[in-house]
Amino acid sequence: MTVELLSANHGAALAATLAARANRKGRGFCSGVYPITPSTECMEYLCQQKIEKGRVIKVESEHSAMGVCIGAAAAGARSFTATSSNGLAYMFENCIAAAMLRLPVVIAVANRTLGPPWNIWADHSDALTLRDHGLIQFYCADNQELFDTVLSAFRLAEDKRVMMPAMVNMEGFILSHTVAQTNIPDQAQVDDFLPLTDIPHRLGDVPHTLGQIEVPHQTEVHRWQHHNAMLDVPKVYAEIQKEFEGVFGRSLHDIVVPYRADDAETLIVSMGTIGVTAERAVDMLRAEGKRVGSLRVRLFRPLPTDAIRAHYAGKKRIAVIDRNISLGLGGILWSETRALADPGAVVQSYMAGLGGGDVRPEHIVKMLGDLEPRKIAGPPAMMEAV
Amino acid sequence: MERKIPADSSIAAASIPLPAGLTLPLEVRVHGRGGQGGVTCAKLIAALFTEMGLFVQTFGDYGSERSGAPVQAYTRVDRVAIKNRNKVYRPDHLIVLDEGLMGAQVLEGVAPGSLLLLNTNASPGSFAGRFERYRFGTIDATAIAREQGIGSTAVVIINTTILGAYARLLGLPLSVLEKAYTSLGLGGDLAAAKHAYEQVRVSEAVREIEAPAVSAAGAPPPAVAAMLGHSRDFPATLKTGSWSNQVPVYSEHPAPCNLACPAGNDVVGFIQALKNNGAEEAAAILLRTQPLPSVCGRVCPAPCMQACNRGAFDGAVNIRSLERWIADHSTLKPTPQIDEHPLHVAVIGGGPAGLSAAYQLALRGHSVTIYEASPALGGVLRNGIPAFRLPQEALSRDIDRILKLGVEARCGSRVSKADLDRLAHDFDAVIACVGFGSALDLEAKGGGLDGVEQGLAFLDRVKRSGEKLKGNVVVVGGGNTAIDCARTALRCGAASVKIVYRRSRADMPAIAEEIEDAGHEGVEIVPYRQPVEFLGSGAVSGVVVAEVEAGPPDASGRRRPVVTSRTSSLACDKVLLALGQKSEIELMPDGWKMKDGRAWLGERLLPVWFAGDCSTGDGTVTHAIGSGRLAALAVLNGCDAAQDGAGAADPVAPGQIRFSHFDVTPSHKDGQLPPAALAGNFQEVNLGLKGPEEAQRCFSCGHCTHCDTCLISCPDGVIVRIADGYRVDGEYCKGCGMCVAECPRNAMTMQDKNHKGVRV
Amino acid sequence: MNEPALCGMAQTELDRAEPLFRKGNTNCGGCGMSITLQMLRHAVAQRQVQFIVPACCGAVAGGAFPQSTFGVPTLMTTFACAPAAASGIASVAALNGEDLRTIILAGDGGTFDIGFASLSAAAERNEDILYICYDNEIYGNTGGQRSSATPAGAVTTNTPEGKVEQKKDILAILAAHRIPYAASVSLAHAEDTLRKMRYALDQKGFRFLHVLSPCPTGWKSEPALGLELVRLAVRSGLFPVYEIFDGKRHVVNIEPDFSDEALNMYLSLQRRFQKSGLTAADLRPAIDRYWQNLRSLSGRIVPARRDA
Repeated sequence: MTVELLSANHGAALAATLAARANRKGRGFCSGVYPITPSTECMEYLCQQKIEKGRVIKVESEHSAMGVCIGAAAAGARSFTATSSNGLAYMFENCIAAAMLRLPVVIAVANRTLGPPWNIWADHSDALTLRDHGLIQFYCADNQELFDTVLSAFRLAEDKRVMMPAMVNMEGFILSHTVAQTNIPDQAQVDDFLPLTDIPHRLGDVPHTLGQIEVPHQTEVHRWQHHNAMLDVPKVYAEIQKEFEGVFGRSLHDIVVPYRADDAETLIVSMGTIGVTAERAVDMLRAEGKRVGSLRVRLFRPLPTDAIRAHYAGKKRIAVIDRNISLGLGGILWSETRALADPGAVVQSYMAGLGGGDVRPEHIVKMLGDLEPRKIAGPPAMMEAV
Repeated sequence: MERKIPADSSIAAASIPLPAGLTLPLEVRVHGRGGQGGVTCAKLIAALFTEMGLFVQTFGDYGSERSGAPVQAYTRVDRVAIKNRNKVYRPDHLIVLDEGLMGAQVLEGVAPGSLLLLNTNASPGSFAGRFERYRFGTIDATAIAREQGIGSTAVVIINTTILGAYARLLGLPLSVLEKAYTSLGLGGDLAAAKHAYEQVRVSEAVREIEAPAVSAAGAPPPAVAAMLGHSRDFPATLKTGSWSNQVPVYSEHPAPCNLACPAGNDVVGFIQALKNNGAEEAAAILLRTQPLPSVCGRVCPAPCMQACNRGAFDGAVNIRSLERWIADHSTLKPTPQIDEHPLHVAVIGGGPAGLSAAYQLALRGHSVTIYEASPALGGVLRNGIPAFRLPQEALSRDIDRILKLGVEARCGSRVSKADLDRLAHDFDAVIACVGFGSALDLEAKGGGLDGVEQGLAFLDRVKRSGEKLKGNVVVVGGGNTAIDCARTALRCGAASVKIVYRRSRADMPAIAEEIEDAGHEGVEIVPYRQPVEFLGSGAVSGVVVAEVEAGPPDASGRRRPVVTSRTSSLACDKVLLALGQKSEIELMPDGWKMKDGRAWLGERLLPVWFAGDCSTGDGTVTHAIGSGRLAALAVLNGCDAAQDGAGAADPVAPGQIRFSHFDVTPSHKDGQLPPAALAGNFQEVNLGLKGPEEAQRCFSCGHCTHCDTCLISCPDGVIVRIADGYRVDGEYCKGCGMCVAECPRNAMTMQDKNHKGVRV
Repeated sequence: MNEPALCGMAQTELDRAEPLFRKGNTNCGGCGMSITLQMLRHAVAQRQVQFIVPACCGAVAGGAFPQSTFGVPTLMTTFACAPAAASGIASVAALNGEDLRTIILAGDGGTFDIGFASLSAAAERNEDILYICYDNEIYGNTGGQRSSATPAGAVTTNTPEGKVEQKKDILAILAAHRIPYAASVSLAHAEDTLRKMRYALDQKGFRFLHVLSPCPTGWKSEPALGLELVRLAVRSGLFPVYEIFDGKRHVVNIEPDFSDEALNMYLSLQRRFQKSGLTAADLRPAIDRYWQNLRSLSGRIVPARRDA
């Protein structure tokens, strides 16, 4: 174990490298990569690594990057790629293909605004376009968490009960380019933690087709099986957390991260780095004697409804802050979790930091000031309008 | 089709009256195959009802299926706008575009009394008892549409045709159908629809028969394997053989050479045997019909080569010389069969016809005695054909083979009229093969001069004792005897030889190669000339020839010669007449008549058959051989005259051969003796082929050679090799016809599946 | 005359025991892709292969879950990324030291059009892939729309008056990538097809075979005449059959006779050319130009005879 000063992009690449090397006694590692701001550093770093029994293919598009990963996984190898924003949008159909083919590709996404008009800064709207198609989604808040989550994502995605792609999100620049100390495990530890990749339906010697035509009821059954495999993720993840702690001697973050939430009347709910900013706001408001807490949702797909409902229970007011907007509806996390609150609770949608706007604790304090007098929730609100 | 949708639920203005007895709402289900136009059929039905001012809805059950795969389409008709968006599970009218689709699932949900319209080429009677609970109509829409050229041969589009039949079953008058087709823009297909309208046959439902229970909707679908557990091999099971109404079959077709051979030789058979298995196996096939292969391989005019389809490509196969190759390079001696009750047959004449008849009978274990007037067997082969064309050894080899079968030859015994009568009593049968009668003479002044003689006598003398000639020789005639005389004269020392012929050079009946060879040897051909007078005192010194003009064609198609008064003279020292022979039979006893190759005495049929030139007058060795063989078979069958390939189909035509399969390869020519001094040299001129490679050029018309072309061109890999050829897996064959189209030699055909004898 | 065809190796121990494309598939009767796959079976023989098939008729032909019409492990990919997915498969095979031929089976839409970038990139990286494009000159799966492989004059469902633009010269484009091997394949010339497929199977790096694939449904032609149409296209010079080694050495394999009769026959046997009324005279100048260029590239007037 060493401590290195790394950007989150590099951390993700290093986690992927260690995972790649850990499969050297298996069917190896193969990855397709393509640059896009602000994810580029991740693929650059990966391309600089020496990986025994591994190949990183520098393709001509994100679409092909995921195409390579699909081929690699179909051949039984471990696979990884990184992208962002329009790159992810361009990769969209192959992300779905990887998911529906149940191929455990790990994707590191540096979240960025979709365009044109061009905007290179953070926004969760890129990754959220893929929320419905069978990819696991994590949203991270700091360098170590991101490194640990990428590493664990391989184990989770490749678990036979799960067997589907996992996407690990970090907000562009805000996290992707932020450099901080990161605990880096030894290869031997990673080898211990990650079993060799074993994809049961990979192409082998027997004639069999992956991805052929399905009739309606077959698709229905496969979607249902996929859905249920997703619902198993929290349970499998909990097992992985234990393993992680055993191997690395430190804990792996929970799927939701509460902060001073137990006795709170008002709960701030968010994903990614806003979640840790919210914790600063909680401290500020607690200092004023306000019973405020925070809940950071790390696992968005599958949506950990039980955990969220447990934390929503008893809360009178809930401010859900989204760094995204589902145009014509409002914040996506808000719309997905508002029904989990107690009857009568005010669950208000706030959207903040879209297009990479800096969300400071003061902004959150202001939102709570807007929320406090409300008896019922108003229409979703954009931070600047509050 | 622009059509306003009625704004409310009332019936729109109708251009066609509603047929009586139509109950609404109506649901129609169409079963067809991809490419047949099933979905369009449902749309057309909808359009027809739209013309009646009704609300309609129509849609196909779209899948990933391709041309030929089963598809369904639906039409709903009602007085009010239709909201239902489900498929049709309980159709009132069921239209099945392809009989091959008929099965339980097609009839599912069809209530008794419903209308069932089936496209089939079978008669309604052949479905007796199967569809009695329905109002059942049949129509051969495929045949009608194919005849009208709608769609392609393999995928006929029948929707517009069957709609005509449907209109009839609906009870619409023909005028309405015409109106509807015009308004739907289908005027081009109206003729087909009218045919169907007129030809559809219907039997009404027998109401008391109960329909089987309809399976409940929502039956549980089969279990679905998990994507993850999916790493086993599940081979495809779709039986695509039901997609088509046609299957390829391997079928032999007559080769033109086989049909053309007067001897009845299996030409394709012996050439392919030579190619694949060598001369001995080829000889085994050849010797079935051909007792004189060494002879025919040299002197046959080879009508097979005229007929050879390769002639239309890069030159006919050199069949004659292949036959010679087989004869000269095989040692096969056929062994006679044993017949428990052998016949005793007398053959009169040891020429090719007699030898052939004797051979065929002896082969089958019968006892044969040949009566030959000359000292040796062979007839014209021995006396008439010069040695440089047919060496003595070649003839002897063939005759020895025949005699080895146990044939008795009585040479030097000329049969008289009385003898013939006696033989007819003493033997079970007599076959008379006495050839042509005496040689024809020329009615011209000076014909009695010395030096004017019959060519045949000259040839016979040369063969027996040799002869020396001097000076100039004129030969009169255009057949093989004329050419033989001319070439023999040269070899006997003649200074010059001219052939005088009354027609053109191209009209000469002699073998073309022989004419050419004669030319190479220095024989001059003088066409369009007719001798009218021989000059000289005592001995001939010249001949006066008149110019001949080509008149109008005669019955044989050749232009009739018209002798003019324009004359000239040729100096000569000898004239050889080769004008042919009489075809009368000189030994016929009094009162005997020949009819259909048999002898009759009044109303009494005698056990005497005739064969060869005396019977047919064809004048070639090969015809004589065929005639002799057929006479022998007739004797055995006790019938008048056996015939080969009676009712045989047409020969394979050049257009049925896929030339692109074959490389252009020039014919292998016969070797020729170098043109040295001819005088006294009677060595065989034609040296034959250097090897049997020419057999490779045979197209094998209509006869499978196991060339694997069908096997490798089948898109679906459903043709498999079996012990004696190939088998098409009818369960999966889609009937595309590629194998048949690609077969280089027309050894396959497409057949309708319900054609008699075709098993699928 | 080469009899029996393929020296009689079909369905013997020299052949692949299991078909690559099984009976009971859903392809139309007379489909050129089917013929391609049957020929490929003979060429593959005992070699280990896997298929990567993008969206195309081949993706449908593959069968319905869980059945497999292809007799080898097969991955169906999205329309545009077969070369990328094949790169992944081929790389993993190489990493594991497996003697595997990774074969892409793609239509002209997936090759000339939507998959073009991915194809070009994989060719540029010289991935160890055999790419077989069965070109039926139409989007068959979607019911017959024009692609950039559709020849000028052909009516498709979205060029009702006949396509105006000329067919893309895919082989020249591939040659410009300087890949080890690129060749056009005439299914009507079985020996040449087999030789090229075998050669391509045993090369390393990116190999490209362009197969003119008759499509009775799209070409509006008799299913039985597919191979004859290819033959006519070759004979007339319309479909040049040649191979390119390393993007440099051009070898013409089948010498056409440039017959206008063959060309007119080719056009008249397909109803897709009916409306535009195209004749040999319309096409001949372009064919002549193409061959002039090909002659100068191949550096010989009369082609070398090659062993089958």
